[in-house]
Amino acid sequence: MASASTATPATTAASPAFTFSASTFQKLHPAEYFRKFVSQGVRPDGRLLNGFRPTTVHHGVITTANGSAMVRIGGTTVVCGVKAEVAEPRLDAPDQGYLVPNVDLSPISSSAFRPGPPSEQAQVVSEAIHRVLKESNVLDLKDLCIEEGKAVWSLWVDVVCVSYDGNIYDAALTSVMAALGNVRIRNPTYEEGIVKVSGAEDLSDDNSFTLKLARTLSSATFALFDTNLVALADPNFAEESVSQGRITITLDEAGQICALSKIGAGASSPALLRQCLGHARERAQELRQLMKQ
Amino acid sequence: MGGSSVLCSVVGPTEVKIRDEQLDKATVEVVARPLVGLPSVKDKAREQNIRETLEPILLSGLHPRTLIQIVVQTMKDDGCILSTAFNATILALLDAGIPLKSILGSVTCIIDAQSNEILLDPTTEELAQAKSTHVFVFDNKSSIANNEDIMDQEELLANVLFSDSTGSFSEEEYFECSRVCFKAAQAVHGFIRTAVEKKLQKEYQQQE
Repeated sequence: MASASTATPATTAASPAFTFSASTFQKLHPAEYFRKFVSQGVRPDGRLLNGFRPTTVHHGVITTANGSAMVRIGGTTVVCGVKAEVAEPRLDAPDQGYLVPNVDLSPISSSAFRPGPPSEQAQVVSEAIHRVLKESNVLDLKDLCIEEGKAVWSLWVDVVCVSYDGNIYDAALTSVMAALGNVRIRNPTYEEGIVKVSGAEDLSDDNSFTLKLARTLSSATFALFDTNLVALADPNFAEESVSQGRITITLDEAGQICALSKIGAGASSPALLRQCLGHARERAQELRQLMKQ
Repeated sequence: MGGSSVLCSVVGPTEVKIRDEQLDKATVEVVARPLVGLPSVKDKAREQNIRETLEPILLSGLHPRTLIQIVVQTMKDDGCILSTAFNATILALLDAGIPLKSILGSVTCIIDAQSNEILLDPTTEELAQAKSTHVFVFDNKSSIANNEDIMDQEELLANVLFSDSTGSFSEEEYFECSRVCFKAAQAVHGFIRTAVEKKLQKEYQQQE
């Protein structure tokens, strides 16, 4: 672990003995540093290539929200809160409510994010979650109807990233599903243009309702590294920054695929996708256990 | 493609903002514009899809510290906008003479909710009936090989460059779609080839 600066000029002239400490090497050549690990089948944090980080799910962490959850995947922590608000329905869908997911990657979570309008990454993750919830009909929006053409519930699903260490999609989707699972909304009554809810202190099945979720989604993300395409499960921030692409697989509890996306890096073979699907199934099983209250 | 059309312009290699400058390669910027109104979150997602798929294909190391700007404007929307945008982009890149590693071809397919059949290149109406939607991009490296070999080794050769699927489908359905789209992508590659050939022929004639 001798540093190069200790070498005397005389010896360097003969044979330039460049030796770095591991951390210097990592800073100078992050990709090469990473490649050395991957070629041995391990990752710098000690995980195997298909290893996921320890994950925890806490339900109902925000008492003022209708439903909430906090999810931790390794160093990534997200909090999701669901707030129900009364809104006017759209003209072309008078009996459907709204489900509006939004992911906020604030500067407090990582130095990679700047203050200001939502970054491209935040917008893309929000859109991906919105799309997967919509396309796989997780929630029937007609359940959110209060009075047709007059009033519906609008569910604001806000995901705030508290600490960012890669794999935001998995963390955000898990928190959204967990939060939607414990949403409780007071039973509304509609009278002459006014929506009223009971003001009872404690909520029970008599004065409030829960959401009927058609399916529970769980996802697994793999980072694609290098041209020979090594798939690394659950990439952290450092791994994300040296990888060229990713595969994201979202599954429901019946094992049906709800979304699959492969983006960036070189062409990947069907065999690689099958391998990722296998790992994703195992991960989905694990996540479902965690999401159970 | 059918009722959809996308206009794509490529500018570059040109001057890059110092903030975006990369010392070892060109910066790729994709701007997606919708048919009407201001760009939304969906367009941002499309921008990212196109950019991250093109980055490994472009030989960006040949033009360090420059910008390659790609603007994708939707002109008519009748389904498969993403596929149309991919194909328009690759043709524009060829026209601009940007060095590429390979040529890509994109195909969209759906699985119909009622008949469970795979439909290629769906229209907006068909998309509304779909159980699942799949967008694939394949490069032309695999189509160069002997055609007869391809039929035997499709499973080996159908290396997917970009894939985006939503809805609800099984693993087998996904790979069946991938096979069908791979075959269709060969036609797209063929089309791109003839388009380029025709254009070069015309230019050559004009010079004489």
